[in-house]
Amino acid sequence: MSSHREAPGISQDPVADNADVYAFVSPDDPTTVTILTNFVPLQGPAGGPNFFEFGDDVLYSIFIDNDGDALPDITYQFQFNTQIRNEETFLYNTGPITSLDSPNWNKRQFYSVSKIRDRGHNGCKKQHHEQDGKGKVLGKNLACPPCNIGPRSTPNYDDLAAAAVHHLPSGETVFAGQRNDGFFVDLGSVFDLAALRPFQNLHLIPLPAAPGVDPLKDLNIHTIAIKVPIRMLTRDGSVPSDPMSAVSVLGIWSAASRRKVQVRDDNGEQPKGSGPWVQVSRLGNPLFNEVIVHIGDKDRWNAVDPIDDAGEFESYVNQPELARLLPVLYPGVFPNLAAYTKDRADLHAILLTGIPAGVVPGFQNFTGPNPADMLRLNVAVPPTVDKPNPIGLVAGDPAGFPNGRRVFDDVVAIELNAVAGLTIPLVDPSYTKDAAAGILTDGTGPGPDRYQDTFPYLGTPHDGFHTPAS
Amino acid sequence: MERLSRRSFVKIAGAATGAAAIAAAPPVARAAIGEEGAVKTDPTTGVPEEPLVAYVRDARRGEVTVTSGTAEHTYRDRALVKKLLRAAGRKGE
Repeated sequence: MSSHREAPGISQDPVADNADVYAFVSPDDPTTVTILTNFVPLQGPAGGPNFFEFGDDVLYSIFIDNDGDALPDITYQFQFNTQIRNEETFLYNTGPITSLDSPNWNKRQFYSVSKIRDRGHNGCKKQHHEQDGKGKVLGKNLACPPCNIGPRSTPNYDDLAAAAVHHLPSGETVFAGQRNDGFFVDLGSVFDLAALRPFQNLHLIPLPAAPGVDPLKDLNIHTIAIKVPIRMLTRDGSVPSDPMSAVSVLGIWSAASRRKVQVRDDNGEQPKGSGPWVQVSRLGNPLFNEVIVHIGDKDRWNAVDPIDDAGEFESYVNQPELARLLPVLYPGVFPNLAAYTKDRADLHAILLTGIPAGVVPGFQNFTGPNPADMLRLNVAVPPTVDKPNPIGLVAGDPAGFPNGRRVFDDVVAIELNAVAGLTIPLVDPSYTKDAAAGILTDGTGPGPDRYQDTFPYLGTPHDGFHTPAS
Repeated sequence: MERLSRRSFVKIAGAATGAAAIAAAPPVARAAIGEEGAVKTDPTTGVPEEPLVAYVRDARRGEVTVTSGTAEHTYRDRALVKKLLRAAGRKGE
């Protein structure tokens, strides 16, 4: 949800709306990396009778750059198809769904997974637009779980979800289906003129300070999850142990694409597609398109690739609008930020190049000088198993954002404080941060039951019978 | 820029789908549309599973874009553009 409804075009197309990307060394299987990419945001759990699902007409892609050129070296592609068993009923299910092949489950979804290793021709890699959906098929007819409906229809939901975890012969593990949305934010407040309820007494339009409210805590999401052995992702096939080695850093992002042309008949059949896949949504770092890119460029940003972020999009990072708004909306709170006019080299490193060696002792996730929005994961940093800190790297937990992103990382607080100037001294020692930079929060946090300790790590989706509670 | 003759275009369209869908911008037109005897008719089938689509990209330059499968090619063929425009009831643009 860090990129839910973030651009005018994709806000009209939820099944292709890439809402969050997570990438981390699997805490229970540290020889692997898990990548999650979420779609169909803001799902009310009671959304029947046609419950939420992936788009059969959408190409979902996960990209991995392992040599720092901001072009994909490995691409995983997922394509779905929906099957209806009984067209003579209006029901999603005609009885309890107790297995993935239950005859009571009327509207099922399956998917295929393909992999493209693009080392390129004559040393020149293709951009993903040219890959046109053709790769080595790793698995097909893989079942999704149903949506979580309620105690009568999906009485043992966790068993259904577990059965939908597929171990592929090629070594990857995959899952695609509904989950609890792990992202948390006071959405209603932050888009009410950037109000942070715990600090709103200091806002230009003040209200009494109050705890944060997380509207996402009762909502679901659709997740594509893949767990891949690290040796299958690094450029040299190694499992790096030195965090300072360039080999240990992966650039990761995801996207959704639609066919260039859709032809709709007047007979009620689904539209037919023609032409190449055209990207309509992408996501690397959380909140990049949502709060960095200006509204007139958001749809274009979704359509292009990370390699295209140099230039105009880079300038949005160097001079972020939010950093200019904070001193205006919170008068007197950010005097040093208001006076800082230099380009934001700290944000440029965090979001566009990775953090080079020498900034954070013993850590780097630098992918080279090409500015590109990607999650950057240093796979040589082991997962923090004992009390991981949701504030991640800036709080001394190097296994968390912006070293990749874990499901519980508080990316709103991290990015908010970074934009407010917390990270400027890392690259510009002449700057003294404002007292508020470092303590800003929207008042929300990772709640209980939102996550699980094993793949796919996002928790059981809310069922529509119990949610909302009354 | 590749050039696509009317004859080869029709041949590709027929080979690819058996029932080519030609989509110029507005709804297809009024009456007979040209010297080769094309006539207005009702569709005999639904939209094919993988429609071949041609659309006028730039009438002034005579550019037609053709999509089929996951391929897309743009051709310069002023005669074809003229014919499509006539079919759409639009004068040369």
